[in-house]
Amino acid sequence: MSAPPKPPPLTTVESTETSDSGAQTLTLSVGPQHSGSGHMRLIVEVDGDIIVNVAPDPGYVHRGIEKIIELRNIIKSIPVIERPSIIDASNLNHAWVRSIEEIQGVEVPRRGQYLRTLLNEMNRIMSHLYWLSIYGVFLGHTTMFMWPLGDRELFIDLAEKLTGARITYSYLVPGGVRRDLPPGFAEEAVKRTEYFEKRLKEYDRIFFNNPLFTSRAKGIGVLSREKAIELGCTGPTLRGSGVDADLRKDEPYAAYPELDFEISTRPDGDSFSRAMVHMDEMRESCKMIRQIVKKIPSGPIRRKAPIVLPRGVAYGRVESARGECSFYLIGEGGDKPYRARYITGSYRNMAAIPAVLLGNRLADMPTAWWSIDYWPVEADR
Amino acid sequence: MSAQRTAQEEDPVATLAEGLSIWVGKLSDLVKKVVDTGPIRNVINWARMYSLWPVNITTACCSAEFGAASGARHDLERFGVLPIGSLRQSDLIVIEGTITKKMAKRLRMIYDQMALPRYVIAMGDCAMSGGLFHDSYSIVNGAHEFVPVDVYVPGCPPRPEALEQAIIMLQEKIRRSKVYEQG
Ligand code: SF4
Repeated sequence: MSAPPKPPPLTTVESTETSDSGAQTLTLSVGPQHSGSGHMRLIVEVDGDIIVNVAPDPGYVHRGIEKIIELRNIIKSIPVIERPSIIDASNLNHAWVRSIEEIQGVEVPRRGQYLRTLLNEMNRIMSHLYWLSIYGVFLGHTTMFMWPLGDRELFIDLAEKLTGARITYSYLVPGGVRRDLPPGFAEEAVKRTEYFEKRLKEYDRIFFNNPLFTSRAKGIGVLSREKAIELGCTGPTLRGSGVDADLRKDEPYAAYPELDFEISTRPDGDSFSRAMVHMDEMRESCKMIRQIVKKIPSGPIRRKAPIVLPRGVAYGRVESARGECSFYLIGEGGDKPYRARYITGSYRNMAAIPAVLLGNRLADMPTAWWSIDYWPVEADR
Repeated sequence: MSAQRTAQEEDPVATLAEGLSIWVGKLSDLVKKVVDTGPIRNVINWARMYSLWPVNITTACCSAEFGAASGARHDLERFGVLPIGSLRQSDLIVIEGTITKKMAKRLRMIYDQMALPRYVIAMGDCAMSGGLFHDSYSIVNGAHEFVPVDVYVPGCPPRPEALEQAIIMLQEKIRRSKVYEQG
């Protein structure tokens, strides 16, 4: 670029329309290979170092899952459904089995419901920890990359005991769950969650109260309450903007009505609030896990459900780690669905990426971008 | 033009340079031979084995296990594997799972931009043969269709231990191979 005689005035967000003359702005392509993580490309237009336009370019992991579901029977589809968000597998699985059970009219025994909730909450912690570690990568904070991944292994071990797999469980099946609690699980779970809560305090000390992070996150990437609702955001992104919306409370399912927990919201809507919502949710999930292993009723874990999908339409949704995950399912009497529409939290939160980036400096992009907790595999499906 | 050429042909410096370059060419063949048979090869291979830096490119869900493998507990850095953002400084691509048609082009582009020697690990069933998504309309069935692959890691997703084993196998492969034939 040739240097103009006088530096041009910085373009503000309001004047975006006039800035695409091409003379003042520079278009950058960030990704799919970038120094953060994630198979995602952003086309960013900068004026000086102020971001004036952002166009997300998703689809690098589009695998046609909705079509594949139509070709497999409803049980064989379970691993396919888990794959989009492999770090949050059981929550997605839950949405799928809920929609199937709604068409089939199958009631899940209470012990099965508790076990589902147990794995869901463990998964929420694992997913948030993975998010946090990648946040460390984005911000160049190696300690925050290592610690959460190390602590995530605590829960991975626990889940492996329960289900037999590290991260891809296929644990929830129509009618209940696959396996019962192994002996000694309850004590182990209590021990690990208590240890983990102590670790969370150390996270606060080294990262969340650290000026290295706070100065880069407070007031950066602000998403106002109205904007978040207008864009249809969900999950921690929505709650970080001060909206008290969580399906676990608003439309209680599984064992959630019987558990005592709180929904965390933060009013500011900046990157810091969204990060703190994640932290609060991990604490609440720890509480819930302890309540579940204490309260879990005895009885069967699974009720026999047919491997056919009767004629009918169902809409099953759950609160996954990244927001609402839903299935719109149409059955036509065979063992395969006629159509399954699959919407995930990241897909809906993608709309927030341009909103949080506009008007910020280019150097603030990693903080604001990753605070949305956007998992490209989940969004592209 | 022709006058210039004649002048050049007669130029003693040019003749000397030509002769020298033939000689240098022969010398470099000799150097290659010496390097590839002597202890220098062991030293170079040793250096390459323990500084395998994978480029930061993720293709699909296996990246969760790659993350777990490079984090605490499994810590790939003890094998000299340190994920790095810049592809010019990296030696290794770990293809982490499903390769969509859209991503395959970019992966090839990244592979072409990397400096020699470069190695490829295909991680997960999807990168080997399409795996769970073999009948999808938008994926490439296997990484070997567009880049040469050194090590395949089966599993969906492979456990971090499997990835560690793949790294050790790749190091073994590097240890045995000739310096000038790598990548
Ligand atoms: S092998 Fe399995 S885990 Fe890996 S990318 Fe393919 S589906 Fe995902």
